[in-house]
Amino acid sequence: MDRLLRPFIRDWWGILLLLLAWQAWVVLSGLNAIVMPRPLDVVADIATNLPVYLPALGISLAAAAFGLVGGFMLGLGLGILTWASTIAAGMLTPVTVLFSSVPVVTLIPILARLFGYGPGTVVAITVIISFFPAFVFSSAGLRALPPGSADLFRVLGASRWRVLTSLALPAAMPNLAVALRIGAAHALLAAMVAEYLMGSSGLGAMFAAAKSELNTERALGASLIVAAISLTLYLLSLRVEHWARARYG
Amino acid sequence: MSGPSGAAIALHDVTRRFPLKGVPEGVLALDRVTLDVQPGEFVALLGPSGCGKSTLLRMTAGLDTPSTGTVRVGGETPAAVAARQGFGVAFQDHALLPWLTVRDNIALPFRVAGKPVNQGRIAALIALVKLTGFEEAFPRNLSGGMRQRVNIARALVLQPEVLLLDEPFGALDAVTRRHMNLELQRIWTETRTTTLLVTHAVEEALFLADRIVVMTGRPGRVAQDLPVPFARPRPVEVMREERFHEMQDSLVLALEPEAHD
Ligand SMILES: Nc1ncnc2c1ncn2[C@@H]1O[C@H](COP(=O)(O)OP(=O)(O)OP(=O)(O)O)[C@@H](O)[C@H]1O
Ligand SMILES: [Mg+2]
Repeated sequence: MDRLLRPFIRDWWGILLLLLAWQAWVVLSGLNAIVMPRPLDVVADIATNLPVYLPALGISLAAAAFGLVGGFMLGLGLGILTWASTIAAGMLTPVTVLFSSVPVVTLIPILARLFGYGPGTVVAITVIISFFPAFVFSSAGLRALPPGSADLFRVLGASRWRVLTSLALPAAMPNLAVALRIGAAHALLAAMVAEYLMGSSGLGAMFAAAKSELNTERALGASLIVAAISLTLYLLSLRVEHWARARYG
Repeated sequence: MSGPSGAAIALHDVTRRFPLKGVPEGVLALDRVTLDVQPGEFVALLGPSGCGKSTLLRMTAGLDTPSTGTVRVGGETPAAVAARQGFGVAFQDHALLPWLTVRDNIALPFRVAGKPVNQGRIAALIALVKLTGFEEAFPRNLSGGMRQRVNIARALVLQPEVLLLDEPFGALDAVTRRHMNLELQRIWTETRTTTLLVTHAVEEALFLADRIVVMTGRPGRVAQDLPVPFARPRPVEVMREERFHEMQDSLVLALEPEAHD
């Protein structure tokens, strides 16, 4: 028991402390539960209303997953394109930088007109959010080759395709893992924000509805779930990154 | 010296100028260098740092092109030889791929060439460079000398027409380096591949080469071209012969920059 508990406390004491402070603050200051519920009440709301939370979570997770995979593939694909052609690099890089500097929120009305006020737009937003790190890190990673290896492949008369598959892509693996980590941490959050702003479906819409009904426990419950899952995804992708560094670095 | 037609490597009147910021005419790295290497010959290139040895080797491999002059390998352009995997190269950075095992690193030229991997040949080369038992190890788990042996084995795996070595043992300590020289000599005696070796070590050049070409620096020119008289196979004891020491002393003298002022 002690062996299990100790590493848990070591890794999570910050969050535990935060929850304890929250609980203590609400209890001691005697705030109204509508203004600020206690964390235990929020957890209780989640535990007793799983049939409400789970379907919403499923929708948000699916949108985040599709968006993450789609954005990652798109970013990697365009990264490969800029690797293969300087013309494409000259064209794509400024466009993507411009695109990424536009706040995603402002894109929602435009995207909603294209994909409708529903999961389509939510996925599109998550694609955009995950695309940029994938593009930037794959562009850089495809060029971060072991010293001398590019010359070696040239002397061996390697085709462009061979250089890509046997050299550039494996060399990019650690960078791709970083892109995945950044994307994984933000995908669910991006999906939830999009759902919240459109009030369509998923945890974001649930949050919006709870907020307007002054159901603070429900609103915080949705946030807590997203935060916990985002953190878990982040930690998992950190593992992937460590592996990629050890294997390909 | 024999004519250009029969040579395995023929560099003729090669000049190479590199652009340099603030200097309109650029840096003259090589000035009208002519060098022939006969089939089956082992030539060592000696010269002070920055005299253009690596540039010469890179041009032979088709990684760089001369400003003026011609480079031919077996009568063809380096690009044509590279296209049919005629070169075996080992440069100073070992250029092993960190995600491949020793076996897969040595097999890489087969894969790049789109040829079926000859596992028997790979096993024989691993034995030749004394790395049996390390087939599944990754480069990061090898010592510097072991990595260079993998590098040499990879250079030899496709039975190249021409072997180009640029200070392959430069990063090694003296003891390991001597050991590697013994192994390279043994391997070379078995294959007799046309070889051009760039080195800073006079002893290494004398022990391994049939001929030593000494270059001067800024701009790089051929200063001396001397045959190495020791009979093959050469035992280690050669390095203790008086003749060896005499040649070593005169080469060291020739390499001192003051000698050319
Ligand atoms: N890509 C390059 N761009 C500009 N200048 C270069 C380039 N490569 C080499 N040079 C210049 O050409 C000259 C010869 O360089 P090179 O690397 O061939 O020397 P080297 O004889 O191999 O030296 P070392 O023994 O130190 O390896 C140097 O003055 C160097 O600055
Ligand atoms: Mg050099």
